[in-house]
Order: sequence, then structure tokens, then C-alpha cells
Amino acid sequence: MAFRPKRALAVFWKDFLDLRKNVGLLVSMMVLPAVMVLVPIGVVWTYVRAPDHADLRSVALFYDPTLPLGASAARFLIDKTLTDWFGMFLVMPVFVPILIASQSVAGEKERRTLEPLLASPVTAAELVTGKSLAALVPSVAITWTAFVLFCVGVDIVAWPLVKMPLMPNALWTFGVFVIAPLFAFFGNGVAVLISARVSEARMAQQLSALVVLPLVGMVGGQVAGVLKAGFGYYLLQGAVVLVLDALLLWASIRLLDRERLVSRWG
Amino acid sequence: MSGIHVQELGKRFGDRVAVEALSFHVRPGEVFGLLGPNGAGKTTTVRMLTGLLQPTEGEATVWGHRVDRDGELLRKVVGLLTEQPGLYDRLTARENLRFFMKLHELDEAAAWPRARHYLERFGLGGREHEPVGGFSKGMRQKLAIVRTLVHDPKVIFLDEPTSGLDPESARTVRDAVAELASEGRTIVLCSHNLAEVERLCERVAVVKRRLLAMGPVRELRHAGQALEVRVEGEAERFRGALAQLPFAPNVLAEGPKLRVMLADDAQAPDVVACLVGAGARVHSAVPTQRPLEEVYLELLREGRG
Ligand SMILES: Nc1ncnc2c1ncn2[C@@H]1O[C@H](COP(=O)(O)OP(=O)(O)OP(=O)(O)O)[C@@H](O)[C@H]1O
Ligand SMILES: [Mg+2]
Repeated sequence: MAFRPKRALAVFWKDFLDLRKNVGLLVSMMVLPAVMVLVPIGVVWTYVRAPDHADLRSVALFYDPTLPLGASAARFLIDKTLTDWFGMFLVMPVFVPILIASQSVAGEKERRTLEPLLASPVTAAELVTGKSLAALVPSVAITWTAFVLFCVGVDIVAWPLVKMPLMPNALWTFGVFVIAPLFAFFGNGVAVLISARVSEARMAQQLSALVVLPLVGMVGGQVAGVLKAGFGYYLLQGAVVLVLDALLLWASIRLLDRERLVSRWG
Repeated sequence: MSGIHVQELGKRFGDRVAVEALSFHVRPGEVFGLLGPNGAGKTTTVRMLTGLLQPTEGEATVWGHRVDRDGELLRKVVGLLTEQPGLYDRLTARENLRFFMKLHELDEAAAWPRARHYLERFGLGGREHEPVGGFSKGMRQKLAIVRTLVHDPKVIFLDEPTSGLDPESARTVRDAVAELASEGRTIVLCSHNLAEVERLCERVAVVKRRLLAMGPVRELRHAGQALEVRVEGEAERFRGALAQLPFAPNVLAEGPKLRVMLADDAQAPDVVACLVGAGARVHSAVPTQRPLEEVYLELLREGRG
């Protein structure tokens, strides 16, 4: 069966239209980016407000006992926050496609729209492609927009102390444009596969959302000083997710066919 | 090869047999009824014939396309009205239709006049720009029918098109089905509504997992022929005499009335002669047809198990 891009685009068009009219989903999609942007700006701001506070140095030494005496502890902590927060920021590109894809795949079953859809010439591959695009495009767009707001916000609050723009730096730029899309692909793949198996969008969302736990756990490790984040660390995460992406793609192609989609009423 | 050819078609889900050894043939331009109770396998059959489910036994072709292999080509020539309308509530009627036009890769400028014709026909004209979420049950069903027709399908499968509709909407839908039939389309109608099947279908298959009976509606009725005889006194005492007839008809006796099931009109004089021979004083003998419903229920009883 030939892959017809036009039909995949039709699915994308429909899902995107539907998303635009789904106010509830749009609101829940916006909460996460708002947190992702505002929290680190707030943290940076607390360091900038009292850069000479004596306790800052103790905190900095906890993370890096070799911190030179002359170095600014506030500046060190700001850099560390920015580096660590990227791990947290990655939750967004994983989570937003989960929200969208769960709705769009399990939602079709829940509302009994899947059967007429599958009775049209669209193939399972076109369907999955269209739906994935409809989840990935908004997610990546939101991630990038949040990144821009994050850079502007951090630079504004950090300016009084560092007197130069801190963001965007190489780590974040690479991370947001290369690693984040890989994570989005991962979140989407998980949600599509799970949604194809369960009959309710809510259940699909809850199950898929479990995949963000390891991410949050790793950020916890960073804050506890157990894990040390940096370029190599994130690169490794990206590589692992790339492999998982390939596995998901393989699994979706193998597991998603009409018969399975129609007969799994759940 | 046009029309629908079904050969020993079967579907099992694990241990459960939903459909077995089903064979029938639908001629191009024919309206064919699939009649059966809940769980009889009507929807499963239609899903196999539209390429949504793979048969586990037998084979079928629809307009020359094998249902197990040529799914994509098949779905281009068939239209399926599913049991549930399955519309996108947040989208408008127009957007719902447009989506299916895109899926069928239609030239929208060419496809809209037809869609609009059916929208008008169903009284949905002027409501195209409203979200479907606000439509009534009947409006949704009608819109789903329009959606089934956007690509001008040669074969249309209608899975209980009037279930849940009020009498007026059901009538509109039935009229529309009749109209589609008059346009020369091949239609398979699933239903457990006898009156509907009787009105719309030329031939009908009664199914309950397997085929129980098939034929023109007229013939099925014919299977329900009976002779109602009124005699003097208790009719019960002539039962034994009738049982001696070579064709040993089924007999119901109630007061002075006898109801003798016949396979053929020609048996009526023999019944009367037999009764007279047994000393009955016959007041009247009237050939009747049992309502189709009775025939249907009897078929289901016979086909139990
Ligand atoms: N996906 C499925 N998995 C397992 N069993 C199924 C599945 N689909 C249908 N069945 C079973 O197959 C049988 C036939 O069901 P089907 O829906 O085809 O009947 P139907 O004639 O359309 O009934 P109704 O008039 O209620 O719509 C039922 O026993 C049903 O439980
Ligand atoms: Mg059914």
C-alpha cells in the first residue's frame, strides 16, 4: 500500500483544527510551559537580588568544593541553575505531545470516530503520521516559544549582576533544537502506542505521562548533587532517547494495523 | 466483476465465532438486507466487507476487490455508515465532510455540489457552519449518511441507519435510501427492523451467526403462508386427521379455528378435503399470510444453537 502524503496531511489538518477548538486541552497545554519559564527566572532573580549573601557560598561549595575564593557564588549558582533546568525543561517536549496524542488517538475511539475514519482509504501509516505531526508540530513550536521567553526573561533579571546576556548559550541552543525534538518524538510515540491499546483518552494520558518520571528523577539527582549535568550528560540522554525513538517507530509500524485498531474496544 | 460475492465467510474472535460459513451474492444495483437479532454478526460481516476486519475463513469480493487483500482500493469504492455516526463534535458539519473529501483525495470543488445536494435533501442546508456537537441525534445520523456519500461510492453499507431516530427522521432516511437505490447504487442494509427491510430491500438474508434463510422478501413471506379454517365445534379433534396428510402440516388449533401452515397454495384443497373427510363441517377456509415478523421469529427459533 502506497503512502499518500495528502491523506496524512488531511489527518494533520483535522487534528490541528480540532486542537484549536479544544479550549480545555489548550489551557492544560499552556500551564506547563508557563511553569518551565517562570520558575527558573524566579530562581535566578533570587540569586541576583542578594549576590553577596554569605549562605550562597556554602550552597555553591556543596556542589563544587573546588570553587575558587574569588569567584562569585551567585554567578556559579546561576550557571548551575541554567544547566540543571534544561533537564526539567525537557519534560515539556515529552509531556505536551502526550497530552495531544492521547486525545487524538484514544479520543477517536472514545468518540467512535475511528471506525468511519478507518473505512476511508487512509492507511494506518498515514494515520499515525498525520496524528504524530499534529502532536509534534505544536509541541515543538511551544517548546521553542517557551525557550525564547525563557532566554529573554533570564537575561533581563540577570543583567544587573552579570552585565551581559547569559542566554541563549550553546548547551540550551543545541538542546532545544536537537534534543528536545527527539524527546517530543518519544513522548508522542509512547502516547500513540498506548492510545491504540486503551479505549479512553484519560487513561492513555495517565499511563503515558509516567514516562516523564525518570526525567524528573534525574533532575532530582542533579539537585541532590548526585548527578552532574552538562553537555555530555544531555548528549547521552539525547542518544538514549534517539534509540528509544527508533524502537518506538519500529513497534508502531508492527503493531498498528486496522484490525487491531478496530477490535480493541477496551 | 461487480456486485458482492461472499463465499463461506467466517470470523472468529478467539474462541467466539461471530460469523460462520456465510455465502451470498448481491447484484449491482440491488438493495440487499442483512436481517438478524443483536449479536447476529451483521456489523462483523459489514466490517469484513469493508476491509476493517480480516475474515478468518472464506473469501469475499466487493466490486472485484478481494476484501482480505485490496483494502485500499476497496475502501475507495465503498461507503460505510457505521452503527454510531462518529462525527467530530468540535468541527462544523462542513469541516467534517471536508475531512473525508481530503481523505478520499477528491477535488473539493467537484465534490461539494453533491454533498450540498444531500445536505439540502436532509434539511441540513444552512447548518453547515455549526459545530456538530450541537446537532440532534437525527441530524448527526443524516450528516453521517452524507459523509458516507461524499466520494460517490458504488457500494454502500448501512449499518442500522434508522436506529434511534424518531419516526419522521427514520422516514426521511428511508426515503433517502430508496432514492440512492433508484440511482442504481448497490446497497447492503443491516437491520433488525422488519418493516424497514421489507420496504427497502429486494432480497434479504436472515442471519444469526450463520445464514438462516435468504431470498426475496416476497418469498420469505410465502414461507409464512397458512390456511385459516373455521369448523363447527372444537377444532382440536381434527388435528389427528390432518397429521395423516402426506405433507403433515404444522397445525394450531384454538376453539373452532384451525391454522394450518402451508408450503404451497396447492395444498389448500387437500386440507379442506381431509377435514371434510374426517366429518368436519367447514364454515370458511381463508388463505392468510403470517406476518413477516412471525416467519422471522420462527427462523430464529429454528436456527438457535
Ligand atoms: N472486536 C471484537 N472482539 C470480540 N468479539 C467481538 C468483536 N466484535 C464483535 N464481537 C462479537 O461478535 C458477535 C457479533 O457481533 P456483531 O456486532 O457483529 O453483531 P450485530 O449483528 O451487529 O449486533 P447488533 O444488532 O447488536 O449491532 C457478538 O457476539 C460480539 O460480541
Ligand atoms: Mg451491529
